[in-house]
Amino acid sequence: MAGDSVVQAMESSGQLEAIKGADILVGIPSFNNARTIGHVVRALQAGLAKYFPEQKAVIVDSDGGSTDGTTDVVRDTVIDDYQAILLQHRTEPVHKMAIPYHGVPGKGSAFRAIFEVAQSLGVTACAVVDSDLRSITPEWIELLLKPVLAQGVDYVAPLYHRHKYDGTITNSIVYPLTRALYGLRVRQPIGGDFGFSGRMAGHFLTKDVWNTDIARYGIDIWMTTEAIANGFKVAQAFLGAKLHDAKDPGADLSAMLFQVVGSTFGLMETYHDVWRAVQGSQPVPTYGFQYAVGLEHVRVNFERMVERFREGVRGLKEIWTAVLGAGDFGEVERLALLPAGEFRFPLRLWTTIVFDYALAYHNKTLPQELLLKSLTPLYLGKTASFVLEVGEMDQAGAEGEIEKLCLEFERNKEHLIHNWK
Amino acid sequence: MKDFIALLSEPLREVSAHFARFFPNVLAMLIIIAAGIVAAFIIRRALLKLLEAIRFNSWSDRKGLTASMRKWNLWTDPAGAVVSFIYWILLIMVFMAGFSALKIPAIDNLVAQFVLYIPRIVSAVLILALGYIVTGFVGWAVVISAVNRGYHFARLFADAVRIFLIVLFIAMALEQLQVAPGIVVAAFTIIFGGVVLALAIAFGVGGIDAAKRIIERETKNGSDKGDVEHI
Repeated sequence: MAGDSVVQAMESSGQLEAIKGADILVGIPSFNNARTIGHVVRALQAGLAKYFPEQKAVIVDSDGGSTDGTTDVVRDTVIDDYQAILLQHRTEPVHKMAIPYHGVPGKGSAFRAIFEVAQSLGVTACAVVDSDLRSITPEWIELLLKPVLAQGVDYVAPLYHRHKYDGTITNSIVYPLTRALYGLRVRQPIGGDFGFSGRMAGHFLTKDVWNTDIARYGIDIWMTTEAIANGFKVAQAFLGAKLHDAKDPGADLSAMLFQVVGSTFGLMETYHDVWRAVQGSQPVPTYGFQYAVGLEHVRVNFERMVERFREGVRGLKEIWTAVLGAGDFGEVERLALLPAGEFRFPLRLWTTIVFDYALAYHNKTLPQELLLKSLTPLYLGKTASFVLEVGEMDQAGAEGEIEKLCLEFERNKEHLIHNWK
Repeated sequence: MKDFIALLSEPLREVSAHFARFFPNVLAMLIIIAAGIVAAFIIRRALLKLLEAIRFNSWSDRKGLTASMRKWNLWTDPAGAVVSFIYWILLIMVFMAGFSALKIPAIDNLVAQFVLYIPRIVSAVLILALGYIVTGFVGWAVVISAVNRGYHFARLFADAVRIFLIVLFIAMALEQLQVAPGIVVAAFTIIFGGVVLALAIAFGVGGIDAAKRIIERETKNGSDKGDVEHI
């Protein structure tokens, strides 16, 4: 197995033997992040020194074959003067290691290697953070790990303040759908930065999913769903703002949507018995002091999104009719005729579209890739509508609109249950 | 004079004798074909009723047959597809039986040749069936990809790809059937080469600015990169 080979390589090189177990592990998946990873490593070292001075900690960079010296940056980054930022030195040194992961190239494979190392070191608590973060502070480490170590939480999802136009797959599909399905209000189920127990890492490794899209962008929703659906103790931690480099600029939207939504729909097959019985939703315990943060301005190309939606109506009529039925497709067609200023996607229609796509995925109406990629223009239409709706609103107002969508997903869930054969 | 009349009437007698011998065969052929068409039609209706009675379409839905058909771009209902297939097989058999009733050596020979030709027909049908599936799948993949990348006239582009594939598979099938193979291959080569050359000239000369924009967009920014972070 690919993951075994990572651990075996480390064992044979004596890296694991040298450390001899640890209490905490923090993993960073990376690929050509030399420019940003130094800051992340420094923040982690400071956080571990400040909040966990007595625990033995390891920072693991799980690298996908960077050619820009990312692993060298990880090895060479040290905080020279702890006195300048801390009142006391940590008693245990922080070990660092950079390991190449194997298997399908992607974040999921990088995480798998991190889970493997965590299990071999027998750690109590783990965290994973993105390597391109610019807003990470030492406090993130406390917020992601303390609930695990002190409160017995198994899985800590992040909670950020994000610009109202950011995280649109999360806001329009993944959060409302996950919340309606499994009944927990985890606001950033695919946030990317998580804390979890050693027990949870062990659970992840019992699953054979590493040759699927979960090994790519699907890993985040998979981890969150596994934690919720298997009854692990879940919480979220407020981390402030999330500022980072654009995620994988080479990847196109439809591939991203295919992997994330495909993984979400795939998990619906696995946990059908769990979500079928759930009604409504409950808040999850939230740690961290919430405060207002300044957010980077986000520009949106509204016309381009609407144009792609209209191009979809012109080009994908047969597929959308087969998935949505003639009635809902008629509504979508009518939307395409609206002037740009009046473009509004009704909440009920959007929830029905997402559920109908889930049903089509379940019924194998079309090949999976074609089916999920045909969702992209509809998603862009929904995003354009959201941009128009919240254009004049502040962050809280936009959050209110997302809440309305979530409640509509919960109300309309019967449509999904009734048609799932 | 008598000889002359006999000379004139002899061919007429022979023709009428031939006709008298041949007419029952023609009548038999017409009866066989007419009765066969009626029987095939009745069988088609009865079979359709039977399949509806046993809820064949629902069974197909449950067993994934309908989904498989949709995957292969077949949008008719499963019962209709089965019945149509059987109906056309029956019609071919009826026409072959009808023609053989004529007892004309040339037609018998033709029927025999047709029987020998069946393997080629089967190959051609398989090529066309494969072409239908591939064309449907590729056509949808192209239209979805073009729409998602924001290209205008996505449907038109996908239709052009579909037509190209249809022409390709029809040429392959005709070549398999040995229908003027030289002409088919030459025609296909000329048309395909001409289209590619025309597109190259149109894109390289006429659409140089559009080409530049597309290449710049693909290489610099990625097709969907904007300021919005989707995840």
